Amino acid sequence: MGIIEVEHLKKEFSYYKKATGIKGSLHNLFRRETLTKEAVRDISFSVEKGEMIGFLGPNGAGKTTTLKMLSGILYPTGGRAEVDGFVPWERKNEFKRRISIVMGQKNQLWWDLPASDSFYLNKCIFGVDDGTYRDVVTELSELLDVRDLMSVQVRRLSLGERMKMEILAALIHQPDILFLDEPTIGLDILSQKKIREFLKLYNQQKKTTVIITSHYMADIEALCQRAVIINQGQLVYDGRLGDINRVLGERRLLSVKTSSEVNPAQWEGFGTLRETSAAGAVLEVPQEKVKAILGAILAGLPVEDFTVTEIPIEESIARFYQKEVVAP
Amino acid sequence: MSSYRCVFLMGLEQALEYRVSFFLSMLSAVFPIIIQTVMWNYLYSHSDAAAVFGYEHGQILLYTLLATIVSQLVGAGFEGEVNGDIKMGGLNKYLIRPMDYKWYQFFRFLGQKVPRFMVAAPVMTVIMAAAFWQGLPISAGRVLSFLCSLMLGMVLNFSIFYCIGLLGFWLTEVDKLFGTVGIVLTVASGGVFPLDIFGGLVETLVNVLPFGYTTQFPVNIINGRFGWERIGIGFGFQLAWILVFACLGCYMWRRGVRRYAAVGG
Repeated sequence: MGIIEVEHLKKEFSYYKKATGIKGSLHNLFRRETLTKEAVRDISFSVEKGEMIGFLGPNGAGKTTTLKMLSGILYPTGGRAEVDGFVPWERKNEFKRRISIVMGQKNQLWWDLPASDSFYLNKCIFGVDDGTYRDVVTELSELLDVRDLMSVQVRRLSLGERMKMEILAALIHQPDILFLDEPTIGLDILSQKKIREFLKLYNQQKKTTVIITSHYMADIEALCQRAVIINQGQLVYDGRLGDINRVLGERRLLSVKTSSEVNPAQWEGFGTLRETSAAGAVLEVPQEKVKAILGAILAGLPVEDFTVTEIPIEESIARFYQKEVVAP
Repeated sequence: MSSYRCVFLMGLEQALEYRVSFFLSMLSAVFPIIIQTVMWNYLYSHSDAAAVFGYEHGQILLYTLLATIVSQLVGAGFEGEVNGDIKMGGLNKYLIRPMDYKWYQFFRFLGQKVPRFMVAAPVMTVIMAAAFWQGLPISAGRVLSFLCSLMLGMVLNFSIFYCIGLLGFWLTEVDKLFGTVGIVLTVASGGVFPLDIFGGLVETLVNVLPFGYTTQFPVNIINGRFGWERIGIGFGFQLAWILVFACLGCYMWRRGVRRYAAVGG
């Protein structure tokens, strides 16, 4: 049994419909039409202790809602979940001591005071002893490269610095499970990389179970072996990140450079033509036919150079987002 | 250190962070005092106001001064934040920690009051000394009762405004309500002028409703208007209303948090 078990989890939100403009507002004053949105419909999955999984999906797919239910912020409409042996929405203090959540778009630090004050508050709230607290802060602030910023008011920090502080604050009580909701959103490449490296190291050293959502594939590829993809509240893929292409049918991209211009019509017989120019073309072909097709191209066209690559994972995931495919 | 003591100290630290804002808010208490002094001076010099209102000229000025200070001390101001937390999803960070949101807000509220107390205490002492010199019957017992009623007044006002803030679970847009409610409750608590000048029904209402017990009651203890029996009854009402609003707040929280949508991000 995994440290996180989710079965048939559901969440519905009700809201009011409002037409544009004053007329709509006046109408709403007297009569409101209540609508229901199914943010999460019947999701089931399980996470093993120490695992780091990427929780993916387009905007509005239900990722954040799921994380909020797993961290006990929201009550579900149906289904069940068990996190580290607890039902999250019962909000037991012992449960809260074992988890942590960082939201890239929400601030958990005291805005007007230095981050170290918020750290100290967390130390008091979670009952961390002085020695452990000192060790954790020293170690993590060094790893995250924020040692010199501890006494600067949070409002004066850059977004990247603040995010590092948010992560540090979330780890003061050394949780067993960490939920990260877009921790690198809006950050520059260097900050993203730093946070990624930190999370990888932290997960390896402490064996903390991590569920991370991100729209940056670089985050997911660097950190996660496994991906859970949801779309419109439903699970569409749960498996190894590297297997996504297999599910979509093993296809390869064949980039060919030619010494002279080739008529686009000539390429079409070899595979799906993705792009073409005076200098060559990119074709999408089934993996098992790569050899044969390449042989035919080499024999028939003025080839100067060629490469064979996998379809970028980003593109495969985008196809899940568009609901072209459903996992087996 | 206990977590609530830490919140209390951080509230204090936060109140001191914006020095200009702090001094301006203290200064803003001066203007109503000036306006009211002018108004009462005019009324008392042009009519037999003392007979109408049941307050001597000096008594009413003393009331105005003390009520303005007490009103500042018990004043809430966190209800907008409670409502904002509910509306914008800021509540998330409290729900995932092993701490109680109401106590968190309460200790922060207390922490933020400390600087105000430090300014108000010498001002009050000077006013009381002047009044004593003018013949006001002040005793140690009265000062002690006043301090107790002031503390309870703060707790009561916190409980009332905490409930008002929690309305955000059901009403999305209550920010604008706060301004109106704030003004109405300041008047209803006797923070502007003593409500017993109206006599009859109004006076009975003030004695029964909770609002007067945040401001008018402490002031009436220290200015010598209430006898010991009235003071005893007043404490009873204060405690009863605190209990009522504390229970209401707990009930609203339990119901509300199930509706909470944790919007955004």
